[in-house]
Amino acid sequence: MDKQLEKLISLHDLDVMIADLNRKDIRKRETEMGLHAEGALEELKELREAFSKNINRKWRGLYNQLTRHYGNAVVPALMGRCAGCLTRLPTAVCSDPERNLKIHTCPTCGRIIYWAD
Amino acid sequence: MKYAVLCKFELSATSREEAIAELLALFPAGEKSRGLLAGALDVRENVGATVVHNSIALPHCRSILVDKLTIAVGKSPSGIPWPEEMVKTVILFVSSVKPSAPQEHSKFLGHIAGKIKNSGDKITAASNQNELLDLLGFQPEEQGE
Repeated sequence: MDKQLEKLISLHDLDVMIADLNRKDIRKRETEMGLHAEGALEELKELREAFSKNINRKWRGLYNQLTRHYGNAVVPALMGRCAGCLTRLPTAVCSDPERNLKIHTCPTCGRIIYWAD
Repeated sequence: MKYAVLCKFELSATSREEAIAELLALFPAGEKSRGLLAGALDVRENVGATVVHNSIALPHCRSILVDKLTIAVGKSPSGIPWPEEMVKTVILFVSSVKPSAPQEHSKFLGHIAGKIKNSGDKITAASNQNELLDLLGFQPEEQGE
């Protein structure tokens, strides 16, 4: 898998973690269970800032732009379609066994696509 | 809520990282996806260990690498350093990032919290896989609704 794509997936998962801990219901549940949700949230935000700097500026910029626009920048391909907008992806790309070795974007919505292994 | 439950009653792991890797190996995902999931779970553990009850750990995250809530439960007879507390039961779960997933994630946290609150000691003492999963409110390999 392309290293930048790996980092973009990890950044997305990190953003989801931060969004979850920003939700009152999830934070309350975690706190009730004795987990240190507040402290974890602050540390995750710091980690996110540091981690995002390791991503190529071009892809980081695209990621941020897509996240602002759609709320999610990286989506899986599902049955040959972009899971974000359901556009059918080019057959040549979908059938390429090395499709994750470079970053592909949806031709319609522009989201970053990955294929689950 | 749709979910998949996987279980390994006797974990051989001797560290938190090994336990997470051992449970992720049960996931129907490729090596690369499992590696990325391990990374996400590790990040969450590093900003605050998820030990919620005497010897029960709850490593969890949401990820685009799963398409539904996937739970893997494991027990270690000798205990696993997590790293400051010894853990004997690990309930690892990864929720999807579907639009309804935050509510499902919250609901599942509530479910697990309730089970641990009411039966934490029994969960820790469970002597077989069926008993453990029954105490947690789910069945092995079941695709819950």
